Amino acid sequence: MIHVHNLVKSYGDVQALKGVSFDIQEGEFFGLLGPNGAGKTTTISILSTIVKPDAGSVRIAGHDLTTDQEGCKRSIGVVTQEIALYNKLSAWDNLLFWGSLYNVPTAELKERITETLTLFGLADRKNDAIETYSGGMKRRINIASALLHRPKILFMDEPTVGIDPQSRNLIFEVLEKLHKEGMTIVYTTHYMEEAERFCDRIGIMDKGQIIAQGTLAELKNTGGIRESIAVTFNTLPEVLAGKLIEVLGEACKITGQTLHYYTANIQADLSKLILRCGELGADIAQIEIQKVNLETVFLSLTGKQLRD
Amino acid sequence: MIKIAIKDLKLFMAEKRSMILTFIVPIPLITLFSLAFGGMGKSNDVRKLPLVLCDEDHTSASRHLVAQLDSLSALKLYITSTDTANSLIGKGKEDAALVLHKGFKDSLEQGRNLPLELRYDQAKEIQMGMLMSVLSGNLMRFVGTHSLERKAIVRFDRQNPGMDSAMKAGVHQMISSNFSGGGGSPNEAMLKATPLAAQPENSPGLVQAVAGTAVMMLLFSVAGLGASLLQEKEEGTLRKLLFSPLGATNILFGKMLSANIIAMVQLAIMFTFSWLAFGLNIKQNIPGLLIMIVATAFACSGFGIFLASFVKTRAQVQGLTTLIVLTMSAIGGSMMPSFVMPLWMQKMALFSVNYWSIQGFYDLYWRVLPITDPVFLSRVGMLFAIGLVLNIAAVRMFKKNILNIA
Repeated sequence: MIHVHNLVKSYGDVQALKGVSFDIQEGEFFGLLGPNGAGKTTTISILSTIVKPDAGSVRIAGHDLTTDQEGCKRSIGVVTQEIALYNKLSAWDNLLFWGSLYNVPTAELKERITETLTLFGLADRKNDAIETYSGGMKRRINIASALLHRPKILFMDEPTVGIDPQSRNLIFEVLEKLHKEGMTIVYTTHYMEEAERFCDRIGIMDKGQIIAQGTLAELKNTGGIRESIAVTFNTLPEVLAGKLIEVLGEACKITGQTLHYYTANIQADLSKLILRCGELGADIAQIEIQKVNLETVFLSLTGKQLRD
Repeated sequence: MIKIAIKDLKLFMAEKRSMILTFIVPIPLITLFSLAFGGMGKSNDVRKLPLVLCDEDHTSASRHLVAQLDSLSALKLYITSTDTANSLIGKGKEDAALVLHKGFKDSLEQGRNLPLELRYDQAKEIQMGMLMSVLSGNLMRFVGTHSLERKAIVRFDRQNPGMDSAMKAGVHQMISSNFSGGGGSPNEAMLKATPLAAQPENSPGLVQAVAGTAVMMLLFSVAGLGASLLQEKEEGTLRKLLFSPLGATNILFGKMLSANIIAMVQLAIMFTFSWLAFGLNIKQNIPGLLIMIVATAFACSGFGIFLASFVKTRAQVQGLTTLIVLTMSAIGGSMMPSFVMPLWMQKMALFSVNYWSIQGFYDLYWRVLPITDPVFLSRVGMLFAIGLVLNIAAVRMFKKNILNIA
C-alpha cells in the first residue's frame, strides 16, 4: 500500500532524512517511533504530500507521489497532532466543510457525519461551537474530520496527546474498529503502550534513518536483548559514570542517574553488577529488573528515552 | 507594573521585522506629505498650472495675447478648439480653458469689455483659485492696461466730439502716458468665469469624500485577508487544507472570493448610506455603480491577497497595511487633492487603486459619463488590470512561501 524508497530531505545544512525506506502492507497498523528530531514529522509531511523530498520515491495506494499528487491526497486522511478545527463553527459545520473538500456528495456526506458523530459519542453536541468542547472532544472531532472521505490510509500524528481517559479509550475503540475494517494506519506516538497495543509492525527512526523495523517480537529479539537491570544512584558524578561504562562495557547505557545494563542472563549478571558498583564506590538508591519492552528496545538502539 | 512593561518591551524587540516596520512606517508618510506640501508658499515654487487656450478671434491681438500667456512660467498651455476644450473638461481630462471669443481685437481697440471667459470643472474649485490669481494679474498686465487706456480715450472722444484733432491727439497722449507705467490692480471682473457642471445635483466634494473614503476603508478591510491566513496558520487549519486535494491556488482564491464579496457589500452599503444621508444621487447610474463596485472590489481584494501571500506575522500585516494604504490613499487623492503634489507624485498616483476608483466615481456622478464612454471604461479597465497583476503576483508568492506560511 505504501512504498517508500530511499527518501532524502535536507533543510539548509540539516539533513533531516538520509535515505529512509520502508513498505507498509494494506490493512497494516504501522507505528513510527523516534525521539524528537529523528525525522518522523518530515517523513509524514512527505507522505501526506505537503513537503517535496530531495530524492527518493513514494507510492501511495498505487499513485506515484511525484506524478499523481491528487490521487495520493484522495487516498489518505491525516490527523495532525495539533487540533485543526474552526473554533467558531459547530462540529457539524466543521465536518461538513472538511468532508466537502474531497468531493463527497452532500447527502452521503451528511449521512457519514451523522454516523461518525455517533461513533465518537458527540451526536448530541453536533450544533455546538468547537470552542465549547473539551480538549478530548476536540481531538475526537479532529480525527472524525479525517475519516469522512473514507481514506484507504490514515496518518495519525500523536492523536491522543493531552486528553482525558474517556476520550482516549473512545479513540482506541475507533482505531481498533478501523483496523478490523482493513484500514491501513500509520501511527506516530510517544506512548509505548499504544504502540505495543495496536501496531502490527513498528519502525524506529533516529537521526534521519530507520534503524530498526519489524514486529514487536522481532524488535525485542534485536541483538539478543531480553532483560535489563536498571540501577539508580543517589549521585552519579561524571567521573564515576565514565568508570562504570569503562568497566561494564557496551551492554551498559547511562541516562541521568540511572544505569541500564542489558543482559541475556540476569541471574548471573545481577550480583556481578552490584559488586562492580560497590567497588567503584557508587551509592545505589534502587535496583530494578526490567523486562524487555519497546521502551528498552528503543533506549538500547538510540540511547535516548522516547519522551526526551 | 514595570516588570510587565519590561517583558513587553523585550517581546517587542525580539520581533525585529515588526520593530523596523513600527519605526520606519511613518518616515515614508512624512516624506510624502513633506514633498506634497513642503514646496507650497516658497517663492521659487514654479509648478506649472495646466490651461487650455481657445482662440476664436484669430487676430494679431489674440495671437499676441496667446504668445504672452505661453511665455509665463506658471502656465502650461494646450491650444485647441472650444468644442474640444468643453469635451476635455467634461470628461475630466482638463481642469480649465481660457476662451478668447470672437471680437477680442475689436473690443480691445474700442475699449469695450474684453470677451474673455474661463470655463472650468466645478469640481476643481481649489485649483481654479490658484489659476485665477495667476491669470488675473497677468491679463491685467498684458491687456488690461491697454483696454482701460482705450476705454478712457473712447470716452473722452465721445464726450468731446467737436474738439480740434491736434488738441485731441495731445489729450490722447496724456491719457496714454498715464497708463504707460502699466500695472494697476488686478481686475477679476475682466475675466468671466463659467463653471461647467454636468451634474449640478451632486456636489463634487461629496463624490470626492464618499469615493475617497470608501476606497481607503476598503483597502484597510481587505488587508485583513493577510491576518486571516495567519490565523489559519496559527490554528493549524492551513496545513490541514494543504493535505486535501484543494491545492494552494484554490485556497488563496477562496480567500479572495470571500474578500471580494465582503468588499462589494461594504461599498454598496457606503454608497447607499451616502445616498440616504447626504443625497448623493446614485440612482442616476445604477449599472455604472455596480460596475465600479465590482472593479474596485477586485482591485482592492487583489491588494489584500498580495499582502497575504508573503506576510509572516500579524505585526507585519499591521505595519505594511498602514504604510501602503496611507501612501496609496494620499497619492491617489483620497486624502488631499493630487494637484498640490509635485508632478512626479501625480504620475505615481496612476499606480494607486484610489486614483482610478475616485476618477471612475467622478465619471459617473460628476461628469455623468455613460458606461460606454471610453474614458469611464479606461478607469474600469485599469482597476481590473491592477487586480489581475496583484492576483498573479500573489499566487506566485504564495506557492513559493507556502511551506513557510503553513
